[in-house]
Amino acid sequence: MTSFLAIFRVVRSSVATKPRVIGLLALGAVAILLGFLIGIADPSDPVQAGGDLINVYGLVVFVPVVALVFASAALGDMAEDSTLVYIWLRPVPRETIALAAVAAAASVIVPVVVVPLAIAAFLTGGGGALVVGTVVAASVCAFAYTGIFVALGLRIRRALSWGIAYLLIWEGFVARAGSGAARLSVQSYGRSILTDAADIELNLADVAPVAAVVVPVMVAMAGVALTTWFLHRRDVA
Amino acid sequence: MTEPVIVFDQVTKFFGDLVAVSEVSFTIDRGVTALLGPNGAGKSTVMRMLCGLTPPSTGTVRVLGRDPRRDIDLTRQIGLVPQQDGVFEGQTALQFVSLAAILHGVDDPEAAARGALDLVEMPADDTRKVATYSKGMRQRVKIAQAIVHQPAVIILDEPLTGLDPRQRLHMVEMFHRLGDSGSCVVVSSHVLDEVERFGSRVLVIAQGRLAAEGDFREIRALMDDRPHRLRLRTDMPRELAGALLSAGTAMAVRIQGDDEVLIDTTDIAAFRRAVAPIARQTGAHLFELAGLDDDLESVFRYLVGRR
Repeated sequence: MTSFLAIFRVVRSSVATKPRVIGLLALGAVAILLGFLIGIADPSDPVQAGGDLINVYGLVVFVPVVALVFASAALGDMAEDSTLVYIWLRPVPRETIALAAVAAAASVIVPVVVVPLAIAAFLTGGGGALVVGTVVAASVCAFAYTGIFVALGLRIRRALSWGIAYLLIWEGFVARAGSGAARLSVQSYGRSILTDAADIELNLADVAPVAAVVVPVMVAMAGVALTTWFLHRRDVA
Repeated sequence: MTEPVIVFDQVTKFFGDLVAVSEVSFTIDRGVTALLGPNGAGKSTVMRMLCGLTPPSTGTVRVLGRDPRRDIDLTRQIGLVPQQDGVFEGQTALQFVSLAAILHGVDDPEAAARGALDLVEMPADDTRKVATYSKGMRQRVKIAQAIVHQPAVIILDEPLTGLDPRQRLHMVEMFHRLGDSGSCVVVSSHVLDEVERFGSRVLVIAQGRLAAEGDFREIRALMDDRPHRLRLRTDMPRELAGALLSAGTAMAVRIQGDDEVLIDTTDIAAFRRAVAPIARQTGAHLFELAGLDDDLESVFRYLVGRR
């Protein structure tokens, strides 16, 4: 546990650099602004309008981009600047390193995405159910993306480029081909949580509530397992 | 007879098409051993394989009889000062070294970190971040994190880089103390004079191969006894070249241009003693005498070629 906490703190402080946090909070401010604009526009169905905003801006753009930037840096930056050796060459199980890295990245990502999106959902006037749905959907998606992108950052040098390619091609294109393909997309689980919680209609959002929470958590755990495997296999500078 | 601390057996390492280390075998015991070789010779790759940071492509590496790549628990016995400058820049020296102590499961990490920083003459209570440190200070902090858990095997990749002469002396003394106390200390360098101070046992790595190994004085003699090529400028090149050949101080001579003689000799010291008297006897004026292969690279090339 001591090793876990020590690595958690190191990863967290190396991930949450000022420029990154400020840049991504600015994206969060955009969500809040959009929520405010929808609220003052007084739409006929504020819950649906709010849900559309959280889906299109929050789940499709904001959550994955924030997760990509922070999570890919968690071990990726250390591999890049050769400081990974100071964690790797220690009698610490690789799964502890992987779990601590994912937990540290998630501890930065979740508040950065959830707070602005919850405020935005509130400002749309969609009501408490939309806010709760937003918090749960954003948190669950953030966890899943964190697991995926921590592994990606450790494995690939230009993780940001590859991550954006994944988001655009897989999540944005392939997974929209039908409900079967959508099951292989993190966003569809977030959309399903949002539709169930706020009782709205969104495309490709038909995953059962329990599965919509459990599957992304399993994806995050798969990310931890993959990161552990990469830590066993990779060369360390 | 006890088993050597480190065993390298027919180790080869490829990076793609590049052969970084080729069929290298050696053993290292307790005490200080220097790994000498020019930049890019494969020293760092050897050290990385010693720590398990990269596996050998073929051959076996054993540290304390165990596989450093697979045996995570073996890292308790290993301390590494990597060549790379990177450290956790947002931390103070005490935090950085304490982190190493915590991850190694040291009982009182802060006390151990303070002790290690004291050994490398770094103030433990310095509140500045490591990011603001000079290269020499970072290097000392890196050394502190490598010895904080009192490992049996200490691997130091170019550890004196960035240190001033007094600090260098202090570090060399410390490495010797660690070696004398029973640790196996492996230090790499590309500077011959530096290696002379590290200790008597030397492994010379060049072009990814083990070029020579043994006592430093033997290696030094090998380097000094190799054929040397010199360029001599004089107003009477033919006469002087003939006289040098007759005296037996030159193995071969070649006249180049109007005033240059290229000379091959196996005994550089004897040649340097003899050249001025011979020139005086011949009536020739010496304008310049320069070694053409005195750089360490050519020394290493020679050592590789003779094996």
